[in-house]
Amino acid sequence: MDHDDATCLAAWRRGDTEALGALVEKYRRPLFGYLVRFANDPHQADEWFQETWVRAIQHMNLFRQRNFQGWLFRIAHNLVVDHLRRKKPEVSLDAPATEEGAPWKARLADPALSPALAAAGRDLGRQIEAAANRLPPEQREVFWLRMAADLPFKEIARVQRVSINTALARMQYALDKLRADLGPAYRELQEMTP
Amino acid sequence: MNPKDLEQLLLLEQSGELTPQQQRRLEAGLAAAPAARQLRRELQGLARAIPEPSTGPAPDATEKILARLAANRPAPAHNWFPTLAAAAALALLLGSYALHSSRSLDAGTGRAQATQSAMLDADEWTDPLEQEFADLENLFRVMAEQPLFDLADL
Repeated sequence: MDHDDATCLAAWRRGDTEALGALVEKYRRPLFGYLVRFANDPHQADEWFQETWVRAIQHMNLFRQRNFQGWLFRIAHNLVVDHLRRKKPEVSLDAPATEEGAPWKARLADPALSPALAAAGRDLGRQIEAAANRLPPEQREVFWLRMAADLPFKEIARVQRVSINTALARMQYALDKLRADLGPAYRELQEMTP
Repeated sequence: MNPKDLEQLLLLEQSGELTPQQQRRLEAGLAAAPAARQLRRELQGLARAIPEPSTGPAPDATEKILARLAANRPAPAHNWFPTLAAAAALALLLGSYALHSSRSLDAGTGRAQATQSAMLDADEWTDPLEQEFADLENLFRVMAEQPLFDLADL
């Protein structure tokens, strides 16, 4: 376990509430950054953020010497999975929309190619966010755990309970889809590197 | 090295997880394939391009977490010691009384009646411990008045 995390947890167990505050602050950005990408709105992400901590602390005896970061994100992952299981789409995008059988997605403008998104081409980050949110859940999670929470693949693999090779492969599938979805805009990324 | 393997190494490089052996393989791959350097720049650009969320958790998140923990705290386990101690005292009391009664049956005294009278004085409003002490006191008083055996019988 991270030395700072272990120190804070030991202090919290002795009744030091400031130690808990320090831990919450440390994981504020990565944990919320991950949760907000799966929540319906920031309020729900905030609710999950608090719930993750409550569950982590209530079951603190279960992880002992294991990695606290992994433990925390595993709990957050469970919240997200529960949410995704409950949130079943009312209409599948692949379901036939008409008697002729044309699927809904064929009748909707491709967001990646819409004039609105083309106009928002300056804001590449928003396009990436939108495209990432169209990824299958397991790839989307790897993408955001890596890009928003800055978790290493070893840790992502633990959170998803898969091998590190599977986590890496999911990231590669996600990148392939982003490239295909964003087209030329994706290649602009090269220019963003100093 | 194929492009997929090279991309995996670039991803591991970005997350700081390359082993020394993988580092050497990556360097060799980058030297051999200029396209790999382009891919590396893309990955670096991707990390920079993603915006921070416009909001964050509540500023008083820690206080809210502490409040939820306090609200969810299970009720403290019932301390059975006083109850068990009282039950043991009562059992001792009744045991002593039963022993005493059996020995004093022949005495034909009013000891049993006195104790019974004391017991009947108890009602649901009486403090159990107070009642036990009262019963014990009554028992001692009766025993003092009526010896368990007569010296003349020995």
